[in-house]
Amino acid sequence: MTKERKAKAPGCPSCKGPVRPRVENPDFPFCSQRCKAVDLSRWFTGSYAVPGERVEGVLDRDDDQEGKGK
Amino acid sequence: MENSYSADSIKVLEGLEAVRKRPHMYIRGVGTEGLHHLVYEVIDNSVDEALAGHAKIVEMVIHTDGSLSVRDDGRGIPVGPHPTENMDTIDVVMTKLHAGGKFDGSSYKVSGGLHGVGVSCVNALSEWLEVEVWREGKKYKRRYEKGIPVGVISVDEDSGVRGTRITFKADATVLEATEFNFDVLSNRLRELSFLNPGLRITMLDERTEKTHDFHYEGGIVAYVELLNKNKTLIFDPPISVVGEQNGSEVRVALQWNDGFDEKLFSFANNINTVDGGPHMIGFKSALTRTIVKYGEEAGSWKEIKESPSGEDVREGLTAVISVKIPGAQFEGNLKGKLVNTEAKGIVEELVAKRLVAFWEENPGIAKKVMAKVSDAARARIAARKARETVRRKGVLDGASLPGKLADCQERDPSKCELYIVEGDSAGGSAKQGRDRRTQAILPLRGKILNVEKARVDKMLSSELISTLITAIGCGIRAPGMDEFDITKLRYHKIILMTDADVDGSHIRTLLLTFFYRQMHDVVTRQLADGMIKHHLYIAQPPLYRVAKGKSELYLKDDAALDAHLLELGTKDAVVRGAGGTEIRGGAFKAILEQVLKYRRLLAKIDKRRDGRVVAAALEDARLDANLLRDASLAETLALVVKALEAAIKKSQPDESCTVALAADELAAAQKIIVKLGHNGAVRSTTIDAAFLDGADYAELKKLLGSFAALGAAPFELGEEGGESIPVDARTPVELFELVKRQASKGLSIQRYKGLGEMNPEQLWATTMDPSKRTLLEVHADDIAEAELMFTTLMGDAVEPRREFIEKNALDVANLDI
Repeated sequence: MTKERKAKAPGCPSCKGPVRPRVENPDFPFCSQRCKAVDLSRWFTGSYAVPGERVEGVLDRDDDQEGKGK
Repeated sequence: MENSYSADSIKVLEGLEAVRKRPHMYIRGVGTEGLHHLVYEVIDNSVDEALAGHAKIVEMVIHTDGSLSVRDDGRGIPVGPHPTENMDTIDVVMTKLHAGGKFDGSSYKVSGGLHGVGVSCVNALSEWLEVEVWREGKKYKRRYEKGIPVGVISVDEDSGVRGTRITFKADATVLEATEFNFDVLSNRLRELSFLNPGLRITMLDERTEKTHDFHYEGGIVAYVELLNKNKTLIFDPPISVVGEQNGSEVRVALQWNDGFDEKLFSFANNINTVDGGPHMIGFKSALTRTIVKYGEEAGSWKEIKESPSGEDVREGLTAVISVKIPGAQFEGNLKGKLVNTEAKGIVEELVAKRLVAFWEENPGIAKKVMAKVSDAARARIAARKARETVRRKGVLDGASLPGKLADCQERDPSKCELYIVEGDSAGGSAKQGRDRRTQAILPLRGKILNVEKARVDKMLSSELISTLITAIGCGIRAPGMDEFDITKLRYHKIILMTDADVDGSHIRTLLLTFFYRQMHDVVTRQLADGMIKHHLYIAQPPLYRVAKGKSELYLKDDAALDAHLLELGTKDAVVRGAGGTEIRGGAFKAILEQVLKYRRLLAKIDKRRDGRVVAAALEDARLDANLLRDASLAETLALVVKALEAAIKKSQPDESCTVALAADELAAAQKIIVKLGHNGAVRSTTIDAAFLDGADYAELKKLLGSFAALGAAPFELGEEGGESIPVDARTPVELFELVKRQASKGLSIQRYKGLGEMNPEQLWATTMDPSKRTLLEVHADDIAEAELMFTTLMGDAVEPRREFIEKNALDVANLDI
């Protein structure tokens, strides 16, 4: 347990608008439940992909181990 | 035949007694609503005159005696003997139910009126009512009491104005409410003026002297602007649709604000169709169809992978739909719903045509609208998926936990740990190596996308997100869901264990960002006593295993390995330089640590400028900024440049090198441009005054100075008490390399490429054993950094993103959080 340092406010990740502080905002670091939901759906629909390195001859490989075939 | 409004066009239908006996059958009850209904009935007659193009102004006055009057400048109610009824036409209009020009269909092409019972109904429910008609140069006046004509129709010569004024006082013996409400009336009258652009409606309340003057040339566009007042608009002004088809007039105005409410108002012949009808259906259908189609072609729905629904499209939409159609019919006593089915096709066609053109002509606005709609769809999808996740697997129910999770036996969350482990093989080792009483394992793998042929993108699959939510047990906060409940947290330590490579750091960045954004309380949990508790940790698997004989050592990164090798290599060592200098043991180590710093700094600089060039500029050419600035030193500079070229060529014999001077206009100096490389892979490095004045170069210079104690080459290296041997190291850097090489002799150094290379026992011993491991506690500020990286990684522009990753590949791998 430590004392939290004050984090800078970079704006709502979804709309870039101002964000009320955590104590009065259950949707922190978002400005609203809406913006939080928009972000959540991006996680659910796989919109957040980190671009990987360029690789020679990558095949159509499906490495999804979490999904199908349960 | 010319349409005329005269005694002929009146058809008598019924008497008034029934109205007084059962008023609720004809008006909206006997309360306030019914009372105001009477006013609307009278007003509507005047507005109908205006709709037909005969009146321009309607004046309403609430009088101090409790009566109310409505005047228009229309043609005036016909006066004179009625052709079929044995009475004056004005009496027919005022006393016969369902009598009026509206039932003829030709006097008024388009007519509203709430019930079609007309003003006779108002008359029947009035203590008294007076009609004044200015028509054909005469003024007629007629008085009724409880609907019954009193006296005779008075006739006066008049100045030639025309129109009708009806003044009535509601009958308190039939109605419970007789007090007119100015605000209620003004809402409806304002609405009417919006619906009839150009029409002027004035109001005066003599009791309070309150007045209104409604006159909107913009019609319903102005209405939408009023409804959206003080809202943040997606675009301005509203889109306006005006069209006519088969004698029907369609007007629609629409505009989105950044809110979530849908505000749709529909009117047919001025009547507020609160229950909609075909005109509303036609509007919605055209709106959804054109937006879905436009967005499809623009690729707006690619990310959400499904088409937005009608509700998504209408989120934040304010729209007013007004149709004026001949022979409009309404359903229900209160006329809340339009019946005429032909209205659907007419509205749909006109709105779709206009919208398609509007999106094409205003791609900027279209883009904003599509973004708004796709956000709405995203929120809906998130809510659905979140519901599915929580419903499918009852949280806290051990039996329904995701199959991939190897749970622990302990049930007290404060003693439980969840390891989120990258990769199936490492997950397997972790499952075998763990303490199964308190440690749970969730193996995960970034799903690999093949977005472009030459790229391997990583993401967390939808399934994984569901699995995480379920395993952690707190639910998720989404629209229509329960709150995220941190007290249901199933593990008080959630430990991310990923490979120490770029992929690993990317997956870690994704996870950190997910927790920070969607499960913020896991990262920083505010306890009742005001303290903050952190539940998220990062495991520190070793990068190296160093073994000598039977002893083994795990080192977490390159720095730890370097430090270890320096320790081994300088222990009991003595180094002798050319001038008889002698350095031993700890002092030797201290200098080599400076060399190490020097090399690290060069490596950092190398991202912007070729480290080999910078080293040569400092070590061989001894460049400084003054030399570049001072024009009088031009000859010296030329010599130094030659020396620099020679030094680089000597140290890099396999590369081709050119060194040139150029004007540095910003600094009013010269700058040196070095091109070094081969076969087209030539790297250009600029050494300018700004760099030579900078902190990095100064630090390099300082570090280089601290090597002086080593003396000069040739060096001899030996052990304390032993013999010194000449070594092939011309510089302190080479000496450092040599010491490291010698220290490595006899050691077996293994660099782990991934967690999967460790067997279960090693994983336990190095990374999972609570008595030996180090865990990094993740704080919100740490994640703000990850978030920043995440944002850059997720940026729209591919090139800067790729550049960012390449530049930071090393930093990312060793990300110190």
